[in-house]
Amino acid sequence: MTNRKVLGTSLGFIAIFIAIGFVLFWFRQVNLVALPQDTTLFVVAFIAVAVLGIATFIVGTRWFGGIPAVGAIIVGAFMTGTIYISPQKVADNPVKVGDVIPQFVALNDDGERFNSGDLMGKPTLIKFFRGHW
Amino acid sequence: MLTISTDLPEVIKKRRGVHGLKATMLSDRDLIVIDAFGLRNQLMHSGPSGEGEAEVLPVPTTMLVDANGKVLWIEHADSYQWRSGPEVVLAAIKSHLDSTGAR
Repeated sequence: MTNRKVLGTSLGFIAIFIAIGFVLFWFRQVNLVALPQDTTLFVVAFIAVAVLGIATFIVGTRWFGGIPAVGAIIVGAFMTGTIYISPQKVADNPVKVGDVIPQFVALNDDGERFNSGDLMGKPTLIKFFRGHW
Repeated sequence: MLTISTDLPEVIKKRRGVHGLKATMLSDRDLIVIDAFGLRNQLMHSGPSGEGEAEVLPVPTTMLVDANGKVLWIEHADSYQWRSGPEVVLAAIKSHLDSTGAR
């Protein structure tokens, strides 16, 4: 009985350490703009820590092993969820290489109208982004 | 360099103080420009929701356009967590602009 609780408590701590490690690794790669396009490794890791967290309770744990186990379940489920909802798909007819970009008018951050005609005459790097930074 | 997002002009202005980018930054809350380029995300919305937030976001996209407005290079993100890395963008600029003699 006691040995089982030692094992369970240990699982809880192992789960949270792996969870923290992979979250730090994830955000480091995000910061470096170096996340791999194939995130299977991360998905496997985040599911694994959630499973370890659940296993902690199945095996049985002291109360102080339950806290990291719950943390690991939350982190693992949340990160798996954000990866699950992350795929992106453009419309059926996006601008392609060789196309001339459509003309447009939009407001800049001073509230002034910007006309795409102003881009002519020199090459431009255009970035569409999700905002909030 | 030009950026387009669904952020409102005042939000872009506020954030500019944080990142200090010198680019022309445009607001496209109604996705008019984003739709003209065909870049509205067709899959699940994964941005913040609620009052004052855009309901749909563009697929993060980087493109290089020549002096006549022709697209030389374009890259879409398959996942909102993924971006064209700086080395990829710089390589695209180098290969497309240097080879045509443009600057």
